[in-house]
Order: sequence, then C-alpha cells, then structure tokens
Amino acid sequence: MTALALVKSHYSHQLSSTAMAMCSSFCPQIPNQLRARPICPFPPKPLFTLSVNAFSSQTSNASAKADGLSARIGFLGLGIMGSPMAQNLIKAGCDVTVWNRTKSKCDPLISLGAKYKSSPQEVAVSCDVTFAMLADPESAVEVACGKHGAASGLSSGKGYVDVSTVDGATAKLISGHVRATGASFLEAPVSGSKKPAEDGQLIFLTAGDKSLYEMAAPLLDVMGKSRFYLGDVGNGAAMKLVVNMIMGSMMASFSEGLLLSEKVGLDPSVLVEIVSQGAISAPMYSTKGPSMIQSLYPTAFPLKHQQKDLRLALGLAESVSQPTPMAAAANELYKVAKSGGLSDQDFSAVIEALKAKLQNPAK
Amino acid sequence: MAMEVGFLGLGIMGKAMATNLLRNGFKVTVWNRTLSKCDELVEHGASIGETPAAVAKKCKCIIAMLSDPSAALSVVFDKDGVLEEICHGKGYIDMSTVDADTSLKISEAIISKGGHFLEAPVSGSKKPAEDGQLVILAAGEKALYEEAILAFNVLGKKSFFLGQVGNGAKMKLVVNMIMGSMMNAFSEGLVLAGNSGLDPHTLLDVLDLGAIANPMFKLKGPTMIQSSYSPAFPLKHQQKDMRLALALGDENAVSMPVAAAANEAFKKARSLGLGDLDFSAVHETVKDLHYPS
Repeated sequence: MTALALVKSHYSHQLSSTAMAMCSSFCPQIPNQLRARPICPFPPKPLFTLSVNAFSSQTSNASAKADGLSARIGFLGLGIMGSPMAQNLIKAGCDVTVWNRTKSKCDPLISLGAKYKSSPQEVAVSCDVTFAMLADPESAVEVACGKHGAASGLSSGKGYVDVSTVDGATAKLISGHVRATGASFLEAPVSGSKKPAEDGQLIFLTAGDKSLYEMAAPLLDVMGKSRFYLGDVGNGAAMKLVVNMIMGSMMASFSEGLLLSEKVGLDPSVLVEIVSQGAISAPMYSTKGPSMIQSLYPTAFPLKHQQKDLRLALGLAESVSQPTPMAAAANELYKVAKSGGLSDQDFSAVIEALKAKLQNPAK
Repeated sequence: MAMEVGFLGLGIMGKAMATNLLRNGFKVTVWNRTLSKCDELVEHGASIGETPAAVAKKCKCIIAMLSDPSAALSVVFDKDGVLEEICHGKGYIDMSTVDADTSLKISEAIISKGGHFLEAPVSGSKKPAEDGQLVILAAGEKALYEEAILAFNVLGKKSFFLGQVGNGAKMKLVVNMIMGSMMNAFSEGLVLAGNSGLDPHTLLDVLDLGAIANPMFKLKGPTMIQSSYSPAFPLKHQQKDMRLALALGDENAVSMPVAAAANEAFKKARSLGLGDLDFSAVHETVKDLHYPS
C-alpha cells in the first residue's frame, strides 16, 4: 500500500504546486451536495496563498474558498485533542458545528463562533463533513452508531471522518454503519498529543474512502503538518496502534533508565542530557524527562489512553499470531499505574509503577 | 604540542579512534591481541608495542578500548600486562564498556602502582568513532580527565565528567539498556506493521515525523527491513551491556521488566548465531517468533 504523504512543514508560508494542482483538479469532481457555496468557476488567483500555519492570527477575512475549507464541518468530541483541533478549524475561517457529551466544553468553541447542536445526529444532519474525536472504541461506536448517533443523520453526499484511536474491528464497524447511509467514511487517527494539536502539527494516518480523503485534505492541513493515506479501513488504526505500541515501550524503558540511574547514584538529568546527544535522542525524552525527574506528569496524553492503545496493539498482534514481549511487559506497567490512580496523569507517570511505593502526585 | 599516547585494542572502535588521534597530530603507539590489525595504523604513522606492558613502558598515557570486562582485565593483569609498567605519573584511560566492579578493580591496581586512572566509556558506535563524534562518559581522577581533554576533543563531540570511578561505567550501561529496549520495541513494531499489511517503510516515515523520532530508527530501520546487519555495534556486546545493566538493577533492587524482556530477545539472537552481526539483527529473532497461522 503506498502512502500519500504531504508534509506542510517545509512550505508553511506557501502551498506547494502539488497542493495547488490538487486544489484545481478535485474541485469539479466534488458532488454539489458537498459544497456549501458554489465556488466554480474557480477564482482566478491561487486559493492557498494564505499562510496555513498563521491562521490563528487571521481574522475571518481569511476567506476559505477551497472546497474542504468551505464545507459545513461538524466536530464531535471536544476533549484534550478535539477542542484545539476544532479551534484551529474555526480560526481558519471554517463553518463549524460542535457537540460534546458535557455541553460546557462547547462554550469556548461557541464563543469563537462555532454553532452547537445537542446530538451527534443533529450535527451530522446539518453538516457536510463531520469529524469525531472520542477517547476510546466504546465512545466512538456510541457517538457514531448509538441512539441519536451520527449515522442517523448521515446520508449520501456527506462524509464522516473518525479521528479517534480505535482497533481495526471498531473502525470497520463504524465504517459499515456510515457507508450504509450512503455517506463516505474515513478513519484518520492522529499521531501527536496536546501541543501538536494546538499548534496544528498533527500527523493524520488515514484510510477509507479516497474521495473523502481528498475533500478533507485542506481541513487536515489546517489541523496537521502531514497526512498519510493508507488504503482500506483498518490500516489507519493499525498504523496508529503500531506507533503507540513502540512509544509505550520506549516510555517504559526510559522510565527504567531514569530510575536505575538515580538508584545507583547518578544524576538522572545528566542521563537525559547524554541521551539527547546520541543515537537514541528523541523529542519525547527531552520534553518529558525533566518533569518525570520531578515526579510531575502534566497531562498531554492521558496514561489511560496509552494503556488502551497498548491493549489494542496487543490484540492486533494476537490476531496475526505475533508475540510481543516488550509491549506486553510495558502494558503491565501501565496497568499498575492505572490501578494506582494515575489514569488521568500524563502517560509518563508510568515511571511511578516502577517505584517501590507508587505515588499519586497531588493534582 | 604532540601528545604521545598508547592505544590498546584496535577493534571496530579502537581502530577508528586511534586513526583519529594520528590524523590530529598525536603520536600513537598501538597494540592489539592480533598484531596484524596494527599494520593499517602503522601506515598512518603509528608505532607498534609488542605487548600492553611495552606500550605502558613507552607512553605516559595509555588508552584502552577492549570489547568486554574479561579483555579489559586481561590487558591490565595478565603477564606482559599494563600493570607491570605502570608507575608514578603514568595515566591509564579505559574506554571499554565494563561493569563498575571491573572498573574499580583496574582503578585500584593502577593507583596502587602510583598511576592515575580514568574510566571513559563512550556512547556511539562505528561511524561516530570514525567521525570523532563520540559522547565520552568519564569518571575517576579529575586531573587526568583534564589532561585527556585534548584527546577527547579529537575523539568525541562532547565529554562528561561524572565523578568517582564506576559512574562512567554505570551511566554507559543505563544508556545502552535504554537503547537495547528501544531496538526491540522498534523491531516489534516493524514486524507488526508488516504482519498487519502495512508498508514498514511508511511506518519509518511516520515515526520520523513525531515525538519518538530518533537517529537510530532512521539509520537502522531501512537496513533492518532489508535484513541487512553489517556490524556497527555487535549484538554480543549489546547483550553483554544489557546483562550488566540488569545485574546493576539486581544489585540495587530496581524493577526492570522491559529491559529483562529485551535481554531475552538478545540472548535468543546470540543462540541463533547472530552475535557478530549488528545489534539490530535482534530483528531476526523478533520476526522468528511469528508463526504464520
């Protein structure tokens, strides 16, 4: 499966000719129902001359006339990730309607100009493309397929983009329900946590209906720095789970190293510095190392979600008969941390699971 | 001012390091257990010492780069070893990766003869050694460290002085423990990607964009996918380091389940005869675990 990756980081202030060509080539193919306002004939000047990364400083004059950007966009789920993602869409000048299980979480978005509907179904009815960013498979299924769920409001010509991280079977289940309505489906879990979400630097790992991918691409580019199209539904989920499986094991191993260094009389912050100089230097270590040494775990990626991802990755591995002893060992540590009350702390709190006495840091 | 140093051990690392010293104006007297390995260094201007003792006799400062604790002890304590010629004013810098006890043992012996000792294991493998980009983790006698800085600046990009003998050894083991676990986690991910119908190269691209991007994945990923394991850091040495790190954890009752799992994979790889390949060859072990359903 080849992946289409468009990295925007090296053209943050102008769009590549590829993107501009895509822009002008897919416009005529988009069904009329997906256009909020007619944009053909194509405006004479290039559409994407605006700095994509500078949208937060743009006023609503950022007339987003391109297809994806001019669609009516729904956003279901305004947690750690969903809220900044929806905000970035609003700041880009998009027409956004939000829903969240706890209504109060919608207020900041509403004050930025978002509309509100009281159920996923109503959001889907009133929008062309609806995004969903839920915490786990259960919520994703509930929001998509449950009572007053999105599927009840979807229909031919509409699109549903699920950016939640779930297992392949859940993605296929949701996909089936969505497509049964005639709508298109794209799974699009992301790599990146709170700060990349705020900064519009997420990495989208998409799979499903190619036409929806192409239509949604400008929206993904508002929220992210790169995107991959990986083929059939299930491939996005698999890729995300593999990445987070590696990440979970790395964090557990790093935790072991920090603790061992301290226990044998070394300065763990010197270890962090030494690691940053060599072949295993990773942004995650430099970012999280210092706070872990202080036993502080400000939540960018909740530990309970990392453990969920490891659990799902182990399930994926089992489904293909692959033993994964590293991931299994790491998973046990996250389970210990969860049972120690650290579910809502950052996943770096897994280091507590290795300590003799697990401490739940004061919040 | 040309510093005269002795250099014991011309393996993957030692050869590159000694060459760098020669290229940067140092006068170097080399020794290697297999003497023929000295020839290439002679072409770069090195002199040969017939034994470690001969090198120690000739040079004020001796650097050692051996493969494991046993070799490190051997060049010091055996007949014709360094200890026979160590005396007041001489400095011994052991850059091998060993356990803290071995380092302490060597240190005590050198000091008892009036010499000065510095342990200085390195982080970095073949290419950083060739490029003078090692990270040097020194501990022991500060005065010797300060004298050695000239050589360290040629050999590496950054040096740390970590205090008393044993601290350098321990720090190196901790770093390599993390590295060994990371390699295994990475390997599990590559295999799972392939088994799930994904393109492992795409996984590499995704990893390279995010928070867990690192030079090791970038460099080794493509060769692992090709099952190509030309040794930059032999697997047997990585497994040795994991074993020593686990022993350190044992001594101090530190919980290390992930490192223990990684060590198992390296052990298996050794038993499959992959010890002399690059440590990334553990990938073959991880792949091997999969029984197609």
